[in-house]
Parts: sequence; structure tokens; C-alpha cells
Amino acid sequence: MAITTTLTGTEKETVKDPKPGMLLKRTMEVFVNLAYSVSGFGLLIALWYIITVASGGELPSPAATFTVFWDLVKDPFYDLGPNDKGIALQLLSSLTRVFTGFLLGSFVAIPVGLVMGASNIARRIFYPIVQVLKPVSPLAWFPIGLVAFQSAADATIFIIVITSLWPTLINTAFGVSSIPDDHRNVAKAFGFSRWKYLTKVLIPFSLPHIITGLRLSIGVAWLVIVAGEMLSGGMGIGFFVWDSWNALSLEKVISAILIIGLVGLLLDRGFAALEKRVTYAA
Amino acid sequence: MSYLKIEDLEIAFKTPKGRYVAVQNINLDVDKGEIISIIGHSGCGKSTILNAVAGMVQPTGGSVLLNGKKVKGPGPDRGIVFQNYSLLPWLCVYQNIYQAVDAALKTEDKADKHARVEQYLKMVGLWDHREKYPKQISGGMKQRVAIARAFAIDPEVLLLDEPFGALDALTKSSLHIELLKMWNLTQRSKTIIMVTHDIEEAIFLSDRIVVMNNGPASTIREIENVHLPRPRNKKETVNMPEYKVIRERLLNLLVDKVVIDDSELYKEEQAA
Ligand SMILES: Nc1ncnc2c1ncn2[C@@H]1O[C@H](COP(=O)(O)OP(=O)(O)OP(=O)(O)O)[C@@H](O)[C@H]1O
Ligand SMILES: [Mg+2]
Repeated sequence: MAITTTLTGTEKETVKDPKPGMLLKRTMEVFVNLAYSVSGFGLLIALWYIITVASGGELPSPAATFTVFWDLVKDPFYDLGPNDKGIALQLLSSLTRVFTGFLLGSFVAIPVGLVMGASNIARRIFYPIVQVLKPVSPLAWFPIGLVAFQSAADATIFIIVITSLWPTLINTAFGVSSIPDDHRNVAKAFGFSRWKYLTKVLIPFSLPHIITGLRLSIGVAWLVIVAGEMLSGGMGIGFFVWDSWNALSLEKVISAILIIGLVGLLLDRGFAALEKRVTYAA
Repeated sequence: MSYLKIEDLEIAFKTPKGRYVAVQNINLDVDKGEIISIIGHSGCGKSTILNAVAGMVQPTGGSVLLNGKKVKGPGPDRGIVFQNYSLLPWLCVYQNIYQAVDAALKTEDKADKHARVEQYLKMVGLWDHREKYPKQISGGMKQRVAIARAFAIDPEVLLLDEPFGALDALTKSSLHIELLKMWNLTQRSKTIIMVTHDIEEAIFLSDRIVVMNNGPASTIREIENVHLPRPRNKKETVNMPEYKVIRERLLNLLVDKVVIDDSELYKEEQAA
């Protein structure tokens, strides 16, 4: 898309080749940050250990958990039938559902958001609906998904679709409605066509807001998928957590928590990077 | 029938505090090819009048007639330089101008449009900066981009809202010359209406200077004719007796405010 290329052009202009001194400084910064993160986790593990000892072994110890964690990630792709699959396969299945739902949701949310932002009438019609439905936990939609799609797997995707709607929709609408008069006036004064207004003013201005919305959406979707799969069962990282609990393996549960957190972090970082790419300084 | 006729123009805005009349009783006849300056204190409604001619705001009374036709909205026959430049921050300098040209001159060839952009970017001395984004250039450079953009669509009427305000004296002078050159190149057929705070600039460029009263509901206070011979040359012009007379009169019309400010400052000093 033309807009993205021009926007990337900005980055190229501003980010000059780092000088050797700069590079050293950067590396140092990375190490310092790493040191802080490591000490944070060190503290957490120490606390965990103390609680383990204090609870008399109710909670698995860090060492026991890491053995299990290592077993999980050592062979992530094994497949021993429907109830026993490697952690990577479970994650893949969850991620596929999240992205399917997220994409479907975004396909609805972005256009509706654009229209809501651009037209007062549309905003007054749709906004009350959004206000009422947004605070509802997406899990409440699960039974409706079951009835509609007759399959627990599809119902899980359905709740992700619902989850992904609101942040994207609201941010998109906000972006469009906050286009400054100055930008509108340029389009008006020089007689921009509808298409030119859309591609050269409305979308470039709203894009950072849209991406922010998408970033929030994927974050919530990743939260919801775990709960959704606990409900639906069968497959996915949420099901894995539930299954591990039933098998009384808290080590596996804690390992899964760690993995879910790391994947969530990666998703967020990915969208944050995208956000940075499309943000222009006015 | 004059070329551009502003008739009993009144513009009022709806504000939370009620109706605010910015300007009223504005009557002005402009001939084709005239250069008119509007001068007056901040907030007196200069931009408002210019925007009415541009078709960006609708009159609440009276009308603006261009070529005998009522102005109902903006059109490619009028090019405007906004007071705050109004560049699109996600487009580079070149694209800011190109997109305006592309929109305003729908029938022209692509190659001709590009040639135009090049010509006007060179005129304002920004050809080497064409790939930069608005945030990467200075205020004066932004202003020059806005000027190039208005000129590039080759309008019959140029509406300039403090177009040289953010420029240093040297750049300003050279752009004054460019403006007059361009005006000469088109057989002085382009009509220019310019808002300015700079009395010298107004006299040097204009055929007539419209002096405004202070708002609210401001009106035209006086219209000053400038009969200085053209082509004008800055050095010679400023030494002509007529130049000095006009300058004196404009100062007298505009300067009373400054005196009041001074005396208040003096009072405060005494009190302290
Ligand atoms: N859209 C608007 N809504 C309400 N009031 C407005 C609007 N535009 C202008 N005004 C008011 O109209 C008056 C004239 O504004 P205008 O911008 O024309 O002044 P100006 O003479 O150009 O001032 P300056 O020299 O500072 O640019 C001001 O009091 C301003 O507050
Ligand atoms: Mg103004």
C-alpha cells in the first residue's frame, strides 16, 4: 500500500547509520536492561521458593517446575492422539483461532469504525449498542456461538471475533472523528475527490489509531482464548491448562502460564513495532 | 460589474456563548489583476473575509461574487495559503504539492502536473528538500511549501493569509520579488488578496490596502490607494515621498493600541 511505503520513507530519513560509538552504547543499554529483567525474575523465583517451603510442598518448587517446563519445550511437536499433543501444537491451535477471530473481527470493526467516525448519524445509531455490549465478558457469547455454529471450536472463534470488535472499533472511530480541521480544509480547498480524501487524509491520519485498536484487540483476544478453550475443551493452550489441572500437575499449569505470558508479550511487541512504523510526528 | 465583488458581507459564528458576529458591512470591489492587502489587529476578521472569498466559510449575510457568480464553495479558480500552512504531515514536501495539483487540475497530464510541482518547488527554493516531511523542515520552509502549493494550481485568484509571516527579512524580500515576477509573467492578470501585519510589505506589493476596525462586528475602516509606479524596486520605492505618506497614515490608523499599552505599563511601574 502506498501509504505504508511513504511512511517507511520517514524512518529511513531519520534513522541514520549508527556510528561505532553509538553501537557500543546501544549494546550496553541492552545488557543493562537485561540485567534488570533478570534480577526481577530472580526476585520472583526467590519469593516462589519461599512460598513453596512455607506451604510445605503444596506448590511445586521452581526446580521441579523447570524440569517439567523443559520436558514440555524439549519436544514441542509430538502428537500422540487427540488428548496428548506437544505444547507447540497446542499453542499453534490457539494462535490460529485467535488470528482467525481477530481478522474476522477487524474486518467488521475497521469499516464500521470508519463510518462511525465519519458520520454523526452513524455514530448516534451505533454508539449506544457499543456501549452496552462492550462491558460484557466475551465468554457470555459462548452459548450463542454454540447454538449458531453447532461446534465448540467455532464457538471459541466466535467469542474471539466479538472480543476483537470493541477496541478496534472505538479507536478507529476516535481516529477518524479527530481529524483536525486544518487537514480537512486542505482537502476542501483543493477539491480532493472522495477517494483522495480517504487515501491521503482520512486513512493516514487514522492509521496509528487503528493499529492501536488492533493492538488492544489482540491483547484481549489472547486473554480470552485461554478462558474460552477451558470452556470448549479439545485443543489449545487453554485446554492444556485445564487438562493439566485435572491431571493434578501444577508444574504444567505454571509452565503454561509462563508460555502464555511470553506469547502474549511477543504479540504485543509485534503490534507495537507496527504502531511505531505508521506513527508520524505532526 | 467588477471582477470580484464583496457585498454587504456579514459572517457570524455560532459559539457556546451565542452568536458572534466577526465581520459585517464589508463592501469591496476588486478588479481583475489587482493586488489587495488586508491589514488590521489580530482577531479583527481578516482570515474570516479571506475564507469567505475562498468559499471555506459561508456568509451569514450578503455575498461574494466572482465573475458575477456567487461563491458557494472552494474551487480551483482560487488558491489559498492558510495562515497555519496546513500541510499534510504524512506526505513529503513534493507529495503535499502534487496531491493538491492532482486534485485541482483534473484534466492535466501526469507529466505536466509533475513539471508544475518541480517549477514551483524551484521557485520557492525547496527543490532539494522535496523528499522531506513537514516535521523535518522549518516554519519558514513550511510556509514556502504552502505558497508553492497555492501557486502550482495556477488559480485566477490567490488568497494569501499572512504568507510571509514566519520568514526572515531576506527570504521575505526574495519571495516578494517572486510573487511580483509571477504576477508579471501572467500579464498581471492574477488577482491577489493578501492578509498581512506588515505595513511595509503591504505598501510595496499592493494596489490598495484595506484597513480593518477592531472586532467584534468589525468593518472596513479605510481603503488606502497605493499609486506607486510599477515595476517596483524595494530600494527606490521606500524612498519615494508617497510611500512615506502612506506609511505614516497606516501607522496612525493602526498604532493607537500601542500607545495605550505603553501607558498601562507605565502605570504599573509607578504602582510598584
Ligand atoms: N470557526 C469559528 N468559530 C467561532 N469564532 C470564530 C471562528 N473563526 C473565527 N472566529 C472568531 O472571529 C474573529 C475573527 O477571526 P479571524 O481569524 O478572522 O481573525 P484575524 O483577523 O485573521 O486574526 P489574526 O491576525 O490573529 O490571524 C475572532 O474573534 C475569532 O475568535
Ligand atoms: Mg488570521
